[in-house]
Amino acid sequence: MNKTQVVVIGGGPGGYAAAYLASDLSKQVTLVNLDKNPGGVCLYKGCIPSKALLHVAKLLNETEDAKKWGIEFAKPKIDLDKLRNWKNGIVDKLTGGVGLVGKQRKINFIQGKASFTSSSKLTIEKKDGETEELEFEKAIIATGSQIATIPSLDIKSKRVLNSTTALDLPAIPKSLLVIGGGYIGLELGSVYQALGSKVSVVEMTSGLLPGADRDLVNFLAKKIKEKYDKVMLNSKVTEMKEVKNGVSVKIEDKERKVTEEVYDYVLMSIGRKPDTSGLGLDKTSVKVNQRGWIVVNKQMQTDDPNIFAIGDIAGEPMLAHKASHEGRVAAEVIAGHKSAFDPLAIPAVVFTDPEIAWAGITENQAKEKGINYEVAKFPWAASGRALTLDRNDGVTKLIVDPESQRLLGIGICGPGAGELIAEGVLAIEMGANLTDLKLTIHPHPTLSETIMEASEAFFGQSTHMYKPKRK
Amino acid sequence: MAKELKLPELGENIESADVLNVLVKVGDKIETDQSVIEIETDKATIEVPSNFTGIITGLKIKPGDKVKPGQTILTVDESGKRAENTKESVAQEEKIPETKEKAQPKGKQEKTTADKPAGEKKIIEMKLPELGENIEAADILSVLVKKGDNVEKDQSILEIETDKATIEVPATVGGKVIEVLIKEGSKAKVGQPILKIESSESIYQKDKKTESVKEVTKPEPTEEEVRQKGEVKSFLPGEIDNQPPITRGAAPAAPSVRKLARELGVNINKVTGSGPAGRISMDDVKAYVKKLNLESVSVSGVGIKQEALPDFSKFGSITHEPMNKIRIVTAEHLGYAWTTIPHVTQFDKADITLLEQARKAYNPKVEKAGGKLTVTSILIKVIAAGLKAFPKFNSSIDMEKKEIIYKKYYNVGIAVDTDHGLIVPVVKNVDKKNLTELSVEMGQLAEKARARKIGLDELQGACFTITNLGGIGGTSFTPIVNSPEVAILGVSRGSFEQVYIDKTFKPRLMLPLSLSYDHRIIDGADAARFLRWVSEALEQPMKILLEE
Repeated sequence: MNKTQVVVIGGGPGGYAAAYLASDLSKQVTLVNLDKNPGGVCLYKGCIPSKALLHVAKLLNETEDAKKWGIEFAKPKIDLDKLRNWKNGIVDKLTGGVGLVGKQRKINFIQGKASFTSSSKLTIEKKDGETEELEFEKAIIATGSQIATIPSLDIKSKRVLNSTTALDLPAIPKSLLVIGGGYIGLELGSVYQALGSKVSVVEMTSGLLPGADRDLVNFLAKKIKEKYDKVMLNSKVTEMKEVKNGVSVKIEDKERKVTEEVYDYVLMSIGRKPDTSGLGLDKTSVKVNQRGWIVVNKQMQTDDPNIFAIGDIAGEPMLAHKASHEGRVAAEVIAGHKSAFDPLAIPAVVFTDPEIAWAGITENQAKEKGINYEVAKFPWAASGRALTLDRNDGVTKLIVDPESQRLLGIGICGPGAGELIAEGVLAIEMGANLTDLKLTIHPHPTLSETIMEASEAFFGQSTHMYKPKRK
Repeated sequence: MAKELKLPELGENIESADVLNVLVKVGDKIETDQSVIEIETDKATIEVPSNFTGIITGLKIKPGDKVKPGQTILTVDESGKRAENTKESVAQEEKIPETKEKAQPKGKQEKTTADKPAGEKKIIEMKLPELGENIEAADILSVLVKKGDNVEKDQSILEIETDKATIEVPATVGGKVIEVLIKEGSKAKVGQPILKIESSESIYQKDKKTESVKEVTKPEPTEEEVRQKGEVKSFLPGEIDNQPPITRGAAPAAPSVRKLARELGVNINKVTGSGPAGRISMDDVKAYVKKLNLESVSVSGVGIKQEALPDFSKFGSITHEPMNKIRIVTAEHLGYAWTTIPHVTQFDKADITLLEQARKAYNPKVEKAGGKLTVTSILIKVIAAGLKAFPKFNSSIDMEKKEIIYKKYYNVGIAVDTDHGLIVPVVKNVDKKNLTELSVEMGQLAEKARARKIGLDELQGACFTITNLGGIGGTSFTPIVNSPEVAILGVSRGSFEQVYIDKTFKPRLMLPLSLSYDHRIIDGADAARFLRWVSEALEQPMKILLEE
């Protein structure tokens, strides 16, 4: 039987980060992955391809906006095949590159599906049909999450897309219904909207992006209302069936009134869920909680001392950057380091237009938990850089501990928010207070100044906004 | 069925022991509770019993080995015997499943309020709010409101003092105070209820507003519903319940600083930060570790440089002998006590002429019960009564927290001279035992100590120590307080002295007593009073009976 010191099951951003670091820490590593190259959902059918398409959407939107500035373009001609190839090319390049750095590290890469047979052995059904038994010292489970579905609405139709098939750009639908007003639905919805589809969205709760602070979401909600055909909140889909040239959908609103409409295509984007079936966890001491996530400690170790779990399978938030951080912690712990997953903030970014990003505590959360806090805000309407972009639809918001003036949380809405949030994450991790942020010179003219100005606003001293501190 | 016998926990702070003897061999049949090995710890020699009955299939240790609690001693074939669960629970400390399961539907709380019948007044229990980093409690300086007062939201209701500042605590709601739950001068913890307030109308209306908002939102699906439908709401990115714990008062320290602390085994939350708002630097962590190390090293003399020893062999022949465990611990412990406790010794004499007569008269009765009525056993009883009368002598000091810990139990340690060194067995709950019982127990403990058979629990938990050197001789001495106790009574040999009583000198049997005490907590006058009290109790035993 083949032996390995460390086996990593699943080659997403968490899995390959874990495998590569374990190798850098002188462990002999086997990486078992379903796809030909590492990458996982993030690289193959998530973050990366969607961002490629969102870049296109942004370009298209800006050519529209340019009319206001005296620049008019002809209606764009969209070659869907070429666009798809360009996007696939990015995915191939990136996954190939990630695979290459694995080869350079002499990682034993196996394409297949692994299943535990005990706390120290697993069997791998290889892509080529063979089965391999593998004995390991330590294993890291990094199998990620699956697309969540609603069984009653799970009709088999090519016109019902999910986050994966939607990225394949089967067509530019005349009309598209997005089910679920979370980040996946809104990101993909804006891609199709920019490509020319009439997009509607239906969301179960009372607002888009449930959980995020409303003052951040409001700018996005307004934009979506302008651009989308219909935004149906407090509503849910009760029935779907394929009809000639489309999908007929019944939607029930908050008054329990049901309307039926036919859409060219439907995108189901209600979220993702963990799936541990087929992993053979019953042959180990790994424990799974009632919601399906593997239970781990701060060292990412499961109840089975030889087995670690990281990423989506080990709990929320299901984000690539959280997974890779956890993966590195697991690798360090296996190498004998005193490591632990103990961040103070995990940034979340919604790559819509405008973007929304936050990290640390949100205002909602502070209220809910009865935490003493103050908010300092700087509206982008007062930012020179935002005006040069013709984008005053943004805000930078700081959640502050009034006593120590320490930054507890940050929320940003506006183009580029995803890039700007990192400064806030660093500030939170460093235990920075608002004087630190205020006294750090930010380059002019950039959007990053809004963080400095929001800090000044906390003291009632924002240069570009007059709002004295109340006594 | 094969079982592993593991070394049990040996007691506080004991991490290992030396194996002196292995009392069994492979192939032996052993019974539950039969002793299998003899080990020596810092404090005593202990025989370790078996948990199983069966045949020994393997020995994992030999005399001279160092063993740790949890280490396997031997394996036993327990065939046919009840299977014992030997599965060691893996160190669970960090394994607490994180709060990832927080699946509680939102708005649940609001719903309960909405369910209340209209018009009902709401009573709100106001709690002491978070006061800042690492502040867990505060002294209540003054309560600014009283029962029946009407308070407005944000009105100051309390003045409290933390070690950082004096703070006014504002009301979180307006309304009528119906109960004040804390007192001036008391200590309150963060989160402790301080007031009950009947919320005023405005608050109530606010509630009503949320209620009406609630009506338009449709009811939250139950978790089961959600699960069946597969639309688990919290998969949406907006659900950020799992953001990291900055909300729980995480220490303001950079990731690299937290990493250093983790690597040094330091709880970052215990480190005092020197930066703005208590921010913790690498140097702060290092300083903290240094402080901890100094504290534990100080046993060999706080910061006192060891002088090099001369080469004694230059002066004559010498031999080297390693200190045994008891000697090492005694040296370290007494060194620590001597350097940390400012000692003062108070001397006195007790007239025990009558007591001695009584002791001799009653001794045969005690001997029948299997003990010996001695001055020491009488002193144990007297001291317990003295500790009740003078609670400060039954305390310990926590200099780090600046606290005095008072004990409400009465255990007295007796220093016993044995062939292998000084051992201090502890007579527990002295106040609940009579003199005969105490005498018997004392005799048994001393015997066990001399035979090195004393159990660890019999060496722990003393409040006060008595050391009686009267059997050997001497007129007085200055014993060292057995830290963390705060006083020790030394007893020297009693002798007849001329005492001037009723205008004439009479021969009286006088017992010299030496009380050493920790001057940090006990004042000289208290010590003199205490020792006088003890002397009088020996002279007039009725005193105890009257005061007990």
